[in-house]
Amino acid sequence: MKWPEYLLKMRGTTRGSPPRVSTSEIVWSWVGAFLGIMAVAWVDQLFFSGYDLSLMIGSFGASAVLVYGAVRSPLAQPRNLVGGHMLSALVGVICWKLFHPYPWLAEAMAVATAIALMHATRTLHPPGGATALIAVIGSPEIHNLGFYYVLMPATIGPLILLAVAVLVNNVPSSRRYPEIWF
Amino acid sequence: MPGNLYERPSTDDVAETELTDGDILDAMQHIPGYLDITTEDFRTIYHLAHRHAVERMFGHVKVANLMRLEVEALQPDMSLVEAAKILARSGSTGLPVVDSQGCVIGMLTESDFLRRLKVATFLELLLNLLDDTFEFSHRCHETPVREAMVAPVVTVTKDAGFGATMAAFHQHGGRSMPVVSSDGRLLGLILRKDFHAAYSLDKLL
Repeated sequence: MKWPEYLLKMRGTTRGSPPRVSTSEIVWSWVGAFLGIMAVAWVDQLFFSGYDLSLMIGSFGASAVLVYGAVRSPLAQPRNLVGGHMLSALVGVICWKLFHPYPWLAEAMAVATAIALMHATRTLHPPGGATALIAVIGSPEIHNLGFYYVLMPATIGPLILLAVAVLVNNVPSSRRYPEIWF
Repeated sequence: MPGNLYERPSTDDVAETELTDGDILDAMQHIPGYLDITTEDFRTIYHLAHRHAVERMFGHVKVANLMRLEVEALQPDMSLVEAAKILARSGSTGLPVVDSQGCVIGMLTESDFLRRLKVATFLELLLNLLDDTFEFSHRCHETPVREAMVAPVVTVTKDAGFGATMAAFHQHGGRSMPVVSSDGRLLGLILRKDFHAAYSLDKLL
């Protein structure tokens, strides 16, 4: 690769980002995200409030952007949503167990490996990177979960988000979800 | 390679519309929901899909199967009268001109005659001939083919597929086009109407 060519690539190829969506899209994105996150929070409170574990992790906020805000995106489809979180959580827990004496290594390894694994399994879901990272930086409670972290929150949470997405995203005539189940 | 302005390997260059960012953004606005694709990516997909579709529809036919063989070529040193006789006998409206090695160096068509006689159509020529004051000024006996022919000429190679042939006809505009081997030698003549019939393009155009 030549230097001028390399530097020219940094200019980008396209002027202007995709257009602003319609107001109804904005409203439905809001409604979906509100109900989806609320459902996760409710299940957390109703069934898991007495235990040392939390169903709510930060990466679900990012998933909500995709499954309620970019419904058509390949990144937002069920295979990616559930598979991405599960595999990333697994990678995160393994990395913490193997490398926790070296936090920098465990963190970097978790996120990088999660991305690679999601790519390889066609489950790329950006919030998965956060799920892997949370498994490593955790809270002590999350560290104590061990491999249960993969099931709870990292599988049950996305399944709740998915159920709400299927119910809500198919209400407006302008939307449908999913495009592909698996 | 002289005489072969247009040699492309396959079907990759059927004229297709270049989409502007505006076109793509307008299309995106017709689709509800956020599309996480850039205009540039869309354009790339469009071009590749177009190429694939053309290959799928038209990839199987080669010019070699459509061309007319046994074409009597003209020599550059022939007089125009001699050339006109061959042309008339061939039943075609134009014939390729080849050098001593058999390489295509030009094309001579009926319109080249008309142009030299300074008329636009045969009907005009006919009317001029009926007019007593008209002087048949051009001396076809003395002019060699070389001076009247169109050169360089657009040709296609025998392996050209749909895309290259389409592009060549687009560039060339005439009714027929010489088909040449990779070293520029004349193999046959591809007629626009044969090409259209092969792909049922008459319905499209």
